[in-house]
Amino acid sequence: MAQVPGPAALPVNPGASGPDEGGATDYEVNLKSLTQFELVWRKFRRHRLAMVGLGLLITMFAAAIVGPIFLPFTVDDIPDAATKAYEGLPPFCTNYLATSLPHTCASYGLTHPFGTTGGLQWDVFTLVLNGARTSLLIGFSSMAIGVVLGTIVGAIAGYIGGFLDNVLMRIVDVMLSLPLLFVILVVSRFFKDQRDNVWQIILIFGVFSWMGVSRLVRSLFLSIREREFVEAARAVGVRDRRIIFRHILPNALSPIVVAASLIVAGNIIGEAFISFLGFGVNPYTPTWGNILSNSLTYLLVGNWWWPAFPGLAIIVTVLAVNFVGDGLRDAFDPRTRA
Amino acid sequence: MTKYVIRRLLQAIPVVIGITIVTYALMLAAPGGPAQKFANNPRMTPAAKEKFLKAWGLREPIPVQYGRWMGLLNPDEDGIAAFLGPSGWPNFLPTGISGADNGILHGDFGYSIDSGEPVGSRIARAALPTVILAGFALFFWLLIAILMGVFAAIKRYSFFDQAATVFAYVGFAMPTFWLGLMLIFLFGVNLKWLPVSGMTETRLSPPFGSDAYWTYFGTTPLTALQDIGKHLILPVVTLVVVNIAGDSRFVRASMLETLGQDYVRTAKAKGLPNRVVYFRHALRNALLPVVTNIGLEIPFLFTGAIVTESIFSWPGIGKLTIDGIRNFDYTILMGVLMITSTIVVMANLLADIAYAFVDPRIKY
Repeated sequence: MAQVPGPAALPVNPGASGPDEGGATDYEVNLKSLTQFELVWRKFRRHRLAMVGLGLLITMFAAAIVGPIFLPFTVDDIPDAATKAYEGLPPFCTNYLATSLPHTCASYGLTHPFGTTGGLQWDVFTLVLNGARTSLLIGFSSMAIGVVLGTIVGAIAGYIGGFLDNVLMRIVDVMLSLPLLFVILVVSRFFKDQRDNVWQIILIFGVFSWMGVSRLVRSLFLSIREREFVEAARAVGVRDRRIIFRHILPNALSPIVVAASLIVAGNIIGEAFISFLGFGVNPYTPTWGNILSNSLTYLLVGNWWWPAFPGLAIIVTVLAVNFVGDGLRDAFDPRTRA
Repeated sequence: MTKYVIRRLLQAIPVVIGITIVTYALMLAAPGGPAQKFANNPRMTPAAKEKFLKAWGLREPIPVQYGRWMGLLNPDEDGIAAFLGPSGWPNFLPTGISGADNGILHGDFGYSIDSGEPVGSRIARAALPTVILAGFALFFWLLIAILMGVFAAIKRYSFFDQAATVFAYVGFAMPTFWLGLMLIFLFGVNLKWLPVSGMTETRLSPPFGSDAYWTYFGTTPLTALQDIGKHLILPVVTLVVVNIAGDSRFVRASMLETLGQDYVRTAKAKGLPNRVVYFRHALRNALLPVVTNIGLEIPFLFTGAIVTESIFSWPGIGKLTIDGIRNFDYTILMGVLMITSTIVVMANLLADIAYAFVDPRIKY
């Protein structure tokens, strides 16, 4: 079979060469070029840690969305008034021995896998699942805001250049010099509404997480806009907007996605911290930070499980996000092979 | 080289000016303003509030407020005359020439709205505990990160390398404050080995930094040092564990790159002992990028200590800031923001210059 010389850059998909039609010798080899997404996905699938991370993230999201619906009680009601003790029950314990001090567990069961909180005896598992909703929402939405803002600013600075570039980059310098944690704390204390404020926290974290992305996007635009294909596009009269969105941006996408994964991780931890200090989400909305914050008083009487599990949830989520980010970086890298 | 340093210094000036503007604008935009701390005080009449705002100069036009805070304008004069200091020279010049002593250009950050103490001395008082904590943390953090990175690179893919990788991943994902809480539980509450909060034992000594404390320190320095040392362990461990994660990976990557260089192979071929090859030939070169990285991280050690300090009630800058945020203490917050961000700018500058200085291959 004669090999038709195809464009060298196009990867040949070996499985996709179609059956001979009509039995005649067909000189056309079915060269199916893979889309960028397929290429990346093929490499990403081989990255074991990244797949584990992705699985964890999907599980987290699923649990956060549907979990609270199926749980036996919500965070608002007191599940078991009979076992009311000052201290919470340790993991898997169902009730304390009535007479012993310090308390020893009388019987074990699956009712409270993460134990219960001191005081109101809430189930920690329920709390963590409910917290996952808000924490994941904040982490990912604020990342979206930050990435969009950063891409716009970076694209303008890198593509237009000149005076505007200088001004924008000095603004980025200033913003990066400010201790952002301080500023976020100040802003969330001074500006936000004390009632339902999840979207305000999202906005605050979004507005303070675009600088890194904009620097990255600017540098990518600076190098890509000098490449031949952009020159060619300009030569045939393609408009600026189309060059930016159709020619340059797709080529800059991979580093942006990797940077986005770092932002998600940072913002989830950041939200937990400001909520922990009491300046974040309204304390009656469960987030991982709020759960940790509430657990403080009972840590001193020994209820370690109350702060331990929301913290582990944060670690697992951030680890998963980082794994996925690593996998994406390798998958996007044209030097690694699938 | 000199030209490069001067150029970088000049570039830093607009950034610092930008920082003052952002800091001021942030405080200006906050609803309620400095009078916010009286918002829930029933005894605060509108007249008293007006008096408060007048006394703090908050009824002046915004550019005037900013000018006075910066030290561009003389607060005792009005109109165009305000640009001149008491001695007749422009107000922004150093105190020796202009006779002016107001504004951050003259090192005056104003007075704390909450306590009335000068902001500068309040921050200076809080800086010592932060420097102690950050200094110890930095020392151990660098030591461990470099050793871990080097051994992971030398014994690549060994059990130690893989354990270090896992440690780095987990440490990177771990919230500082959560680690602090868990350490408090384990060593403070459960095992009762170490104190869980503060810098000194409050039952034994006066609060750290007060005059009474220094008298106490003078009489029994050993006990006092031992006391501080005990209180230091948990916060330092917290900072170190969280921070070495990223840095040890960085050192490892840099070391791996250096180990692949020709001069390392030459050194090995000459028959030098491994110890000399690794630590004299490879490590010195591998540490070059690390130096820059450290320069960029040191300021965040100070601001990052905010987390650790608030967990362990360490009486430093972080705690000062948190208290300032709680009490709507605008002047303190502006002072802290200004000082810390200027430190960041300076550290970036120094890192760049140091890098050019230690690596002769770089030409400017």
